[in-house]
Amino acid sequence: MVSQEIEIAGLNKSFGQGAAAFQALRDIDLTIASGEFFTLLGPSGCGKTTLLRIIAGFEQPSAGTLRINGRDVTGLGPNKRPVNTVFQSYALFPHMSLADNIGFGLKMQGKPRSEIRATVAEMLQLVRMEAMADRRPSEISGGQQQRVALARALAPRPRVLLLDEPLSALDLKLRKEMQSELKRLQSETGITFVFVTHDQEEALTMSDRIAVMSAGHILQLGAPQEIYNTPVNRFVADFIGDTNFLKLRVKAVEGSAAVLELPGGKTAQASLPEGMVPTTGALVTAVIRPEQAEAAAPGAGDLQATVETATFFGTDTHLHLTLSDAQSFVLRRQNRPGQPAPAPQSRLGLALAPGALRVLKD
Amino acid sequence: MRGHGWKWLLCTPALIVLLLAASGPLLIVAIYSFLSPGNMGGVVWEFSTEGWFRVFFRRDIFEPDLVEWNAAHLQVFWRSIWLSLQTTFICAVLGFPTAWFIATRPPHTRTIWLFLITIPFWTNLLIRTFAIQEMIRNNGTINTVLMQLGLIDSPIQMMFTEFAVLLGMAYVFLPLMVLPLYAAMEKMDFRLVEAGYDLYASRLNVLWHVILPQVKPGFIAGSILVFIPAIGAYVTPRLLGGGRTMMLGNLIALQFGQGRNWPLGAALAMLMLVVVVGALILYLRVVGGNDEARRG
Repeated sequence: MVSQEIEIAGLNKSFGQGAAAFQALRDIDLTIASGEFFTLLGPSGCGKTTLLRIIAGFEQPSAGTLRINGRDVTGLGPNKRPVNTVFQSYALFPHMSLADNIGFGLKMQGKPRSEIRATVAEMLQLVRMEAMADRRPSEISGGQQQRVALARALAPRPRVLLLDEPLSALDLKLRKEMQSELKRLQSETGITFVFVTHDQEEALTMSDRIAVMSAGHILQLGAPQEIYNTPVNRFVADFIGDTNFLKLRVKAVEGSAAVLELPGGKTAQASLPEGMVPTTGALVTAVIRPEQAEAAAPGAGDLQATVETATFFGTDTHLHLTLSDAQSFVLRRQNRPGQPAPAPQSRLGLALAPGALRVLKD
Repeated sequence: MRGHGWKWLLCTPALIVLLLAASGPLLIVAIYSFLSPGNMGGVVWEFSTEGWFRVFFRRDIFEPDLVEWNAAHLQVFWRSIWLSLQTTFICAVLGFPTAWFIATRPPHTRTIWLFLITIPFWTNLLIRTFAIQEMIRNNGTINTVLMQLGLIDSPIQMMFTEFAVLLGMAYVFLPLMVLPLYAAMEKMDFRLVEAGYDLYASRLNVLWHVILPQVKPGFIAGSILVFIPAIGAYVTPRLLGGGRTMMLGNLIALQFGQGRNWPLGAALAMLMLVVVVGALILYLRVVGGNDEARRG
């Protein structure tokens, strides 16, 4: 069995008193395994940063317990937890050199000078900033500050590294670079990473597991593939990736699948979420990802559609379509040489990938 | 570039006021310090270094060639510096938590606290000093209450002591420390404090290694704003300290008044200026020097 690094049980957090009280976290139960790259994903205001700050010790929960490596740390201050944070704004000490910044945690732990010097050198090497040890934070770029902030948080060898949207201030190219850098650092150090982001793509590419949060709740918890392929509700389906939502009528129910009537008269099988048995003739919401359908000749395929617009994205083209019953549908088509984008108002058929259509609980 | 040619004209009113009110009088004082005293005050236009001489030395009344150090003047100098340093220290120690308290309030309540800090400025300094007198005099509020309670038998002598001068000056100059400290703290990134805690620093270590370096400019500005007016303070030592705890301001005033030795007064005033400017340069070298050099 994998050892549990972080165990959170019955955690609640509210700010303010009485009528003005705002409940930021509601009944959070969560365990994060040792060595895991765990991501808290959600829109701003969903409570993900509050949860991170509670793990760090900057905030105390209103109710519930928090264990780190089996030890109950509820009520302990941030300086008494084996946890370090990489802040969104980096929060490097402006009056110290980069080396002093990185060595600060070790110095506060009372480590001997020689050990601090050795660890600082090792950390500078780890984030490839050896040449800049004596500079000040104001003298280096944002991406470099990011690396130093990482090195500073890793230097005391915490059990858990907390990262609060650390890449949001970087431009796209640098962000991609830092994403792989973070993955490398995590596998090299074996430290548990808890990563907060509102960027679903970042979450999908980097995480071992993702917790999707909204309004203080964890809506879904699972591996990136699981979250992407089988979102539990409309919010998750909408927030992670692009999704087509179709209102369709149930023709029949066969076990854990429903036969849905498609616009134009054809039918398709759609998997049902656990415990949902819709009545025949009812309208349900079915979802399908834009890349899980293929364009076919007009008249062929499962659905007939009219092209509204085609948007070129480099690797693929997004076709905004209108179905025969006026519902809209986005099709993502990979670009190939010699394949022209269809003209607006042209007609085409759509073939849905088998098993791609899923019914959602509303 | 167009239009820059005449924009400097905007400073001229201020320049004229500075010239008339500061540089001009300063020049006159500098010249007076090298003239001879008139019998009924004023100066006689006759070059003399006697004013400067008398700052440091005294002549025997009967034998003018018998010269010794003027211990009284040196004592006043030393007392002024020492009391001003203590005042600055007290203001810093009291001002830091006050400024911290205000800077950590929600933004709209900060305005109220800042307003309360500046209220004493609205009342005349004399009235405020007389109010302190009323509190600490032998049959004043504090002594009366303590005696009524039976805690003391005879009044504690507080008036006309260095304590009284310190109390008065700390009270008068405290806002001048709080305001620049507050300004520095308000600009401070409080996430640095969190980063300090996160990296295993205790409260004391966060204060020492994270907060103090951040608010150092506020401390520097505050201590300059307190120390300089304190060293030349006149009203407070006059009313609370009396003749026994005379400070530089009083000594200088004395020479222009009863002393009828304007050149000596002028020389003392110039020396005070030199001391203050010297202290300022030294202070900035020692405290602020490192940063400036690195930033440059």
